[in-house]
Amino acid sequence: MFYRRAGISHTSYRQERQLWPLPFDRRLALFVLALTILAPLLVDRLYLVGYLMPWVIWSTATLGLNFLMGGAGQIHLGYGAIIAIGAYSSVHLVRAGTPFEIAIVAGGLASALIGSIFGAAALRVKGLYLAMATLAMQSIVDFVITQVPAISGGGQASLPVPTATFFGIAIVGDLRSYYFALAVCLIVTFFMLNVRRASFGRALAAVREKDYAASILGVNTFRFKLVAFWVSSFIGGVVGAVLAFCYYRAVSPDQFHLDLSIQIVAMAIVGGVGSVLGSFFGAALILFAPILLNQAVGQAAEMFGLAISADLRAHLPLMLYGGMIVGFLLWEPLGLAKIYDNVRNYFLVWPFRHARH
Amino acid sequence: MDLALLLELSINGAFVGMMYSLVAAGIVLIYKTSGIANLAQGALAMMGAYFAWAATALVGLPAWAAIPLSLVAMFAVGALIERFALRQMIGQPIIMAIMLTMGMEIVLRGLLPGVFGTAVKKIDIGIPNAPLFVGDLLLNRTLLIGGAVSFALVLAAIFFFNSRLGIVMRAVSDDQTASWSVGVRVERAIAIAWGLSAVMATTAGILWGATQGVDWSLSLLLIKALAIAILGGLDSIPGVLIAGVVVGLVESLATGIIDPLIGGGTRDVAASVIILATLLIRPHGLFGREHIERV
Amino acid sequence: MTIKRRTFLAGAGAAAIGSQLHVSFAAAQEKVVRFAMPQDFTRVYTFATTEYNQGQRDYASLVNAKGGVNGYQIVLDVSDHGNDQPRAIEAYERAKTQGAVLIDPLSTPVARALVPRVTADKVNLITAFSGRSDAADGTAFPYVFPMSPNYWTQAGLLVDYFRQQDGDLKGKKICLVHIDTPFGKEPIPVFEALGAKLGYSFQAFPYTPPGNDQSAIWPQVRRAKPDWVVFWGVAVGQTVALTEALRNGIPINRVSSSVWLSESDMDIVGRAAMKGLIKVEPCASGTSPKIIQDIIKTVIAPGKGAGDKAKVGTSYYNYGVMMAALMIEGVRKAFEKAPNGPITGEWLNAGLTSISNFDADGFMPATTITPQDHQGGGKCRIARWDGEKFAPVTDWFTANQDVVWAEIKKSADEYKKTAK
Repeated sequence: MFYRRAGISHTSYRQERQLWPLPFDRRLALFVLALTILAPLLVDRLYLVGYLMPWVIWSTATLGLNFLMGGAGQIHLGYGAIIAIGAYSSVHLVRAGTPFEIAIVAGGLASALIGSIFGAAALRVKGLYLAMATLAMQSIVDFVITQVPAISGGGQASLPVPTATFFGIAIVGDLRSYYFALAVCLIVTFFMLNVRRASFGRALAAVREKDYAASILGVNTFRFKLVAFWVSSFIGGVVGAVLAFCYYRAVSPDQFHLDLSIQIVAMAIVGGVGSVLGSFFGAALILFAPILLNQAVGQAAEMFGLAISADLRAHLPLMLYGGMIVGFLLWEPLGLAKIYDNVRNYFLVWPFRHARH
Repeated sequence: MDLALLLELSINGAFVGMMYSLVAAGIVLIYKTSGIANLAQGALAMMGAYFAWAATALVGLPAWAAIPLSLVAMFAVGALIERFALRQMIGQPIIMAIMLTMGMEIVLRGLLPGVFGTAVKKIDIGIPNAPLFVGDLLLNRTLLIGGAVSFALVLAAIFFFNSRLGIVMRAVSDDQTASWSVGVRVERAIAIAWGLSAVMATTAGILWGATQGVDWSLSLLLIKALAIAILGGLDSIPGVLIAGVVVGLVESLATGIIDPLIGGGTRDVAASVIILATLLIRPHGLFGREHIERV
Repeated sequence: MTIKRRTFLAGAGAAAIGSQLHVSFAAAQEKVVRFAMPQDFTRVYTFATTEYNQGQRDYASLVNAKGGVNGYQIVLDVSDHGNDQPRAIEAYERAKTQGAVLIDPLSTPVARALVPRVTADKVNLITAFSGRSDAADGTAFPYVFPMSPNYWTQAGLLVDYFRQQDGDLKGKKICLVHIDTPFGKEPIPVFEALGAKLGYSFQAFPYTPPGNDQSAIWPQVRRAKPDWVVFWGVAVGQTVALTEALRNGIPINRVSSSVWLSESDMDIVGRAAMKGLIKVEPCASGTSPKIIQDIIKTVIAPGKGAGDKAKVGTSYYNYGVMMAALMIEGVRKAFEKAPNGPITGEWLNAGLTSISNFDADGFMPATTITPQDHQGGGKCRIARWDGEKFAPVTDWFTANQDVVWAEIKKSADEYKKTAK
């Protein structure tokens, strides 16, 4: 219907290698991009600050983690700690007078450095054992931040974030913060879309599928895993800086606990491991389902006068939220991105369902 | 450093560790049969404790009747979870099945406090709190009894794996397809593993609930239990017991020796460092089977 | 299966869209003063939130049943933020859009995250028994209101009570068993400063959060042979601390804690065994105070209560009533100053900072809030558990405020310096 495609019609390699070979996909991507850029004009401030901003930031974080989980097949339960390192180093650097442009990169580098040190140690192990090793990293970093007042910002452990100036533009107010976060998100997205087409991405894919086999083929698995840790941690560190400067504006250790790590892992998995689109879907579901369910239940209670106890009323959204994760996974175990793909495939050949695609 | 204190901390630590390993043993049981790390294990412990509380406080049963009743009920819950959720995920990526158990955890964490109320509940299993001194040493009755029960249950699990049903389960854990082809009912074995692990979780939930009271925070036992299961080797039940004691000892002694020096709670960090170091030397945990890879 | 899937998706979609509808029409009502109460009903603060919130809602119902304030109804928007900061920020932004003039998140991490936003947006943030202790300094935090004795004050009061009991603390030993978080470490500087002044020795024992296992801590406390023990935590950490204190044979009438102890904690550890336990009380507990009787008569008896009747009069319920009473007193004062509004954050701020000698008919200590002092005087009383209830053993009093304010000033000055 929308796609108007019949048969394979590539006439050059260049055409075949395009990110979006179908015109409709291209237009859809442009349309969504335009929507996100025009969003401040289209929606109320509440939706900009309360929904779009965290969505953009958390999606970037999920993309960073997905690079490691989906790209290289390594699970990471300490991504919250990585983000914390980036946030704290960039905030401290800016407070010490470093320009923000340098501080944000330095924050990424600090995360990348510490992340890949832990990565190097953790890479002897695989699968759930790796999950445990990264979990250990989370608790060590948490401990250091809480115990050293020079890092956490004194007895109240709340570090005010100074205003950042990015190439002469002060990042103040919701609009500029949103655009800055969006710019970072777009850069990471384009990196993620393209890395798979480069030799680096292909080597990572080999490592992901079977590291043992990859090393027989001459891929240095240790090096590639380490570089994957490095890149993913760098993105995490930059996200930390964005989180601190654009969204929280005051950093405290509890923003980066294990809860955050698990949240981002859940986003990557529910969205679809390794999928760029899935990262955005997953972030949206995990971030907003609790909020929207709460409002829906609250409203239902008001409208229909639900005769249930306050405790049940407060916990109903949590149950529904968990049920939604279970439901989506039972329905489509490959994640939300796969659901989108199924819909797309359906329309690709509509109305000739039996046709091959 | 005071020797008596060290001895006391060691005893307490070892017994606390055994109570943790009871939750971990449930994780291992499921991992061994189906290869999934059950992230709802802590929530099952919470659920079991809530059931036991409901049986005593709401129904009015005495503890000796309420506890077996909740164990039986939880066996059914475990088996049902396997039947209606996990079985649908056979053949799908493992990580999605793990995520499913996490979704389950969220559901349970909403369901039980929602139905029974968030206020912390008390279950009385008849262990007095009055101090028990042996010479200069103080022994913690709840920990002693809890640790002993846990020890006995984990031992029972080890023996169970030598029974007929246990051998079936070992076969399933070795190779599901091969077991299928020789007539083993793989699904049933996995369902029983889920039921048993829910029973273990319930016991742990009741033991911990007797100390801290029953509320949602019992589900936090998961993190520690997972750490112990991984340290011991995810497919080794004896490993769980030893890892539990090691983690318990390290945590207890770190609290006693390192905390006063640096003025911070080092319990979790010390445990993390030990686990990290062990994994570097033994990548499959203390007693885990090495995974032989073929191309 | 296909239909099931479709229903499932459609349901999810309908819920998402439906929940967004009410933003527009909710703001259309008139003659209301809107308070936002996004609190943590499902995560860390579950132990207190249900009762605290119930108290707030019942008190608001009482005021509304009597015709509101100046003809305006008080509307409380209750929601759940689950101690998750993006959710709390969304709730805050939503509240602001709907015209809320006050927000009470009852969560330390959330309160800390909201400080820069409320300061910029001029919305009053209530941080009762949570949030930054240095927010007592109104000059540094004009829109943050603890309106309750902060943790430094509570520590100072406990030490003063010990001094009253022992006559002199010289050569005595006080042990603090605390959760190892910024909240748990907070009282340490006050204990240390007072130790230097009064001559007692002080030792702190941190435990790892959430504190469900403290079996390695208390043997050390026992060996330290303290004269007084203070334990500082929340929820599970509190009951486990009490259980371990019992098991280690520490005399309970020498054990004390902050405001975070309630009747339900006593139930868990055993009512009889806890006799003599000391806590700090910011307001009266039980159902006998006049204000609670009013609530029972006007709100609970006609069946308009916000929750379980049995919870009325528990410690945390009464904290909720106390805070709601202070907020609504602020509204009253604001109407006195500017009867025609407009109802904004600044308008309420002027009211809150002119609360003077308010004690809700003896329910709580006389509280005066000024633009400088957002704590309200730092008065509390000490209560001991008598097996049935927390019975006050002192009158409302304040002590060691010089040390407390030195700490507040030090921290607030640092904030002023860095917030620029």
